[in-house]
Amino acid sequence: MEALNKTEQLEAARALINAIEQDDDDRIKTELMALTNARESALFQQIGKLTRELHEALNNFKVDARLVDLTHNDMPDTRDRLNYVIQTTEEAAHKTLGYIDKTLPLANELKQTAAKLNESWQRFRNREMSATEFRDLSREIEAYLPVVTMHAGEIHNNLSEMTLAQGFQDLTGQVLRQVIGLVGEVETNLVKLVKVAGQPQQSGETKAVDPLKAEGPQINAKNKPNVVNNQDDVDDLLSSLGF
Amino acid sequence: MKILIVDDFSTMRRIIKNLLRDLGFNNTIEADDGLTALPILNAGGIDFLVTDWNMPGMQGIDLLKTVRADPKLSTLPVLMVTAETKREQIIEAAQAGVNGYIVKPFTAATLKEKIEKIFERINAQ
Repeated sequence: MEALNKTEQLEAARALINAIEQDDDDRIKTELMALTNARESALFQQIGKLTRELHEALNNFKVDARLVDLTHNDMPDTRDRLNYVIQTTEEAAHKTLGYIDKTLPLANELKQTAAKLNESWQRFRNREMSATEFRDLSREIEAYLPVVTMHAGEIHNNLSEMTLAQGFQDLTGQVLRQVIGLVGEVETNLVKLVKVAGQPQQSGETKAVDPLKAEGPQINAKNKPNVVNNQDDVDDLLSSLGF
Repeated sequence: MKILIVDDFSTMRRIIKNLLRDLGFNNTIEADDGLTALPILNAGGIDFLVTDWNMPGMQGIDLLKTVRADPKLSTLPVLMVTAETKREQIIEAAQAGVNGYIVKPFTAATLKEKIEKIFERINAQ
């Protein structure tokens, strides 16, 4: 029997009163039965609805088994991946800096010898040089040219190595993309879990943030009014304060 | 002139060390956070301190405050080189007595300019 709406309930109640007033025992029984059935039916419907909701909630928990998998397998794997990014970028930076250390003295030597030879050459052009000095200069130039070839070759090689060292960007980029994907998946699953668990009470107070806490590089600095964008902003801020 | 470079990333220490060398400062020593920097400072002989802010152990801002509170070290010039760019942080560092504040990523020209400015002021005193 379907649950009765208000009008139907009132009608049934009036019919019952009517039957009592007329001392019609049979009708009293029938009307009373009708009202009781309707009441029970409403209760059953409510229980049915709750059962369905419980069933759905339990099913959702089954879906969230993926969360368990994420926690046990993907998260530790992600820590390894991020450590790999730190390690790879550090290696690449050191490798590049190493080749710079090897290259700078070569460039310096070429520059200094060329400057010295140029000075002597100008003296020769101005006819300020003795024959003996010119013979020395010729020997120096002769010795310098193969050094230039050798150093230039080495500089070329070092620059090529520096180029190759930039390959980390490809590798770390791929790893970071995987991590971004995983973070997205965890977020989706957590949102589902929160929905199943019901809405938590909203705390009225805003979270206290320590403005001095070190946060590293700011992402989206343009949207944060309390963050400076560059060195000029820092200098302006400090000079506005009288520092 | 002996300079102590404090940063938790070895590549950044190396970059700063190389830039300082190009500026003619060949005598540098390194530490990876405030806690490892303090014994070096206390041992004496350091004339200039370049420090990061965000480091494990003791952070740069606390190292700066510790240095300023120590009568033996209080006048040591301190240059902060950091990725921390909140106004509150820059003001805090200035009030704690930092001599220069450089934000990462920075250029060789900026490092040169700030170091020269610090020495200009010290010499003017």
